[in-house]
Amino acid sequence: MLQSIVSYGLAVGAVYALIGITYNVMFSASRVFSFTAGMLGMLGGVLGAIFINKWGINAALALLLVLACGALLGIVTEVLTVRPVLKSVEQHLYVLSTLAFALMIQQVVAIEFGTEAYPFPVLIPIDPASIWGAIDQKFWLPVLACAVTIAGLEFLYRKTLIGRAFLAIAEDSYAARALGLPETRLRMASYALAGVIGALAGFTGAQMLLAFFGNQSILNFYGFVPVALGGMGSNRGAVIGGLALGLFQQAANFLVGGIFAAVAVFAVFIVVLLLRPEGLAGAATARRV
Amino acid sequence: MPIKRRQVLSGSAAGAVSLATGLAAPAIAANEPIKIGYLPALTGPSSSTGVGMNRGTQLAVEEINNAGGINGRKLELISRDTQSDPTKAVNAVAELTQRQKVALIWGPVNSGEALAATPLIARDKVPMLHPCWVDELIDVKKYPMAFRIAPTNTQIGGGANHYAVDVLKLKKVAVVSDTTGYGTASVNTYVPMLKAKGAEVVYTNHIDAANPDLKPELLRMQNAGAQVIMPWSVNAGFLSRICNTRGAMGWDVPIVGQTTLGSGQTKALLEKPEYWNKVYSNNFRQVCYANGKLPPRAAEYVERLKKAKVEFGDTLLWWVALGWDSMALLTETFKTAGTKPEDIVAYWNKLKNWPGIYGTISWTPEQHNGFPDDEVVMCEVNSLKDGAFNIAPGYSS
Repeated sequence: MLQSIVSYGLAVGAVYALIGITYNVMFSASRVFSFTAGMLGMLGGVLGAIFINKWGINAALALLLVLACGALLGIVTEVLTVRPVLKSVEQHLYVLSTLAFALMIQQVVAIEFGTEAYPFPVLIPIDPASIWGAIDQKFWLPVLACAVTIAGLEFLYRKTLIGRAFLAIAEDSYAARALGLPETRLRMASYALAGVIGALAGFTGAQMLLAFFGNQSILNFYGFVPVALGGMGSNRGAVIGGLALGLFQQAANFLVGGIFAAVAVFAVFIVVLLLRPEGLAGAATARRV
Repeated sequence: MPIKRRQVLSGSAAGAVSLATGLAAPAIAANEPIKIGYLPALTGPSSSTGVGMNRGTQLAVEEINNAGGINGRKLELISRDTQSDPTKAVNAVAELTQRQKVALIWGPVNSGEALAATPLIARDKVPMLHPCWVDELIDVKKYPMAFRIAPTNTQIGGGANHYAVDVLKLKKVAVVSDTTGYGTASVNTYVPMLKAKGAEVVYTNHIDAANPDLKPELLRMQNAGAQVIMPWSVNAGFLSRICNTRGAMGWDVPIVGQTTLGSGQTKALLEKPEYWNKVYSNNFRQVCYANGKLPPRAAEYVERLKKAKVEFGDTLLWWVALGWDSMALLTETFKTAGTKPEDIVAYWNKLKNWPGIYGTISWTPEQHNGFPDDEVVMCEVNSLKDGAFNIAPGYSS
């Protein structure tokens, strides 16, 4: 039982964390919560299954293609649904525009590729009888993807010029623009990066979650929880929040089961937010007076 | 207002025309085609059934018309694809009953569309034949002209319960579903039926179908002492996870349930082919292999279709047979009773043991559910051959 809680919990948690990071990367660059994060995750799985199973493309190449599609969709999201409503961020029109875009893409997937779940191929076949059989790819792949992503982002934000430019925009976009930073291009780059991360989450988690158009709403929702738990904009918070959510959800599955597991997850979520509205890792923002 | 001479003349002219057409009507009707309104779901998320039934329907109409039609009149199918969308079905009903003036309506073939369309077809007083399972679709008081040529959901659940409890003699049952309306309603209906049969329902739950790990659920069933799992869902992902988890746990209990258990989508999601062993899904006695042979009516039908080079590789025999049966029944009805709505209904109200390929149909004025209980059986899901399955082990023939 403990093994099942840990392996499934960490794996699902890693996918949630990656979707949370996708939200964060888009949020940092634009102050917009783009509800396309779940769509990117869903597409990562569906496109991966199509590229590998249907078109017979090599798995590594398929991964690259999926990430490229994610980046492209990220850019399209920025241009079509975020840029036009940025001027009136306080009216929260982006909720509508990003959600509508995500639903549109989801419907296209349903019409083109069907509403049934499809299997995702095993990328690295392991003999289940061997000692490695216990560590199935579906468990460690999302965790590895999450670790690589967070390490990569830390490196990008702390050690590279472009990463610092991202941070500058996140901190104060007016000041950054006054300093001569190309705000629009950096924002597009951020959305492309978010697209890559979201698609990676879907691709690596698809063997467990299946390639299914309906995963979009689940990922949109459960991916948002780590953001709220960990504090908006905090990637480390999202990872901790995501893994905690995965573990707790899986433990709840064992302890109460059925639909009550979901109730338990949300009960804890609300309690945490009541106690710490700024999130577990987020700092309360000081208000200028 | 004074009546002008021109008005009188035009009025009488119209009268004369209507009189002429009225008189001529029987002569035209004797040769004009019999219009059948047809509401299949040929596209959209629930269309695989509709596509299969459509094949049988079209084949039958083609064959009947090639043989000269009914008393010299051809059958004309006026087909409107509902696209698995109740709104589209409702719009199509208005067109078929009011503009096209069809003799009767075959369909809709999915319950969702039928729930929306049935009251309207009843309002327009057009006879209706449909193959949908939802119990509420037949009500002789509300819809006196609607008839079902298929089992009800209660019969489907009853067939599965009978197999688990009476045939396999397993008394400790775990009943689960996903959280959809269909799933929860099925569990709520079938659990009391199981208890009434003397079975002990040791575990019951509604499970979120998106949950990737069903081991906790299956462990709870195992700990509760379940001897058989009965899942009610049309979600292939959910059903395959139950099969996969049972296989990975090495737990040797049968899984007995809905037809989706045996679908190609479920098969595609299995981690190992052998995880489909001891899985039994709903099917129908007249179209199942028993000892390697189909019952005579179905065997003859399949032979005939094979000669006509019709393939079953991508569909199921019972879908095609159901479409075929409906047209065969309509043909017989038109030949015997004519095409007036009240005559059709009167004929159907007395139909007894009509020998379809898919099932033996009987209706009475009080009962418009025509499918016999004992023809709802379970089949071995891993035995699909030429669109049909082996009947599950244990039934007496």
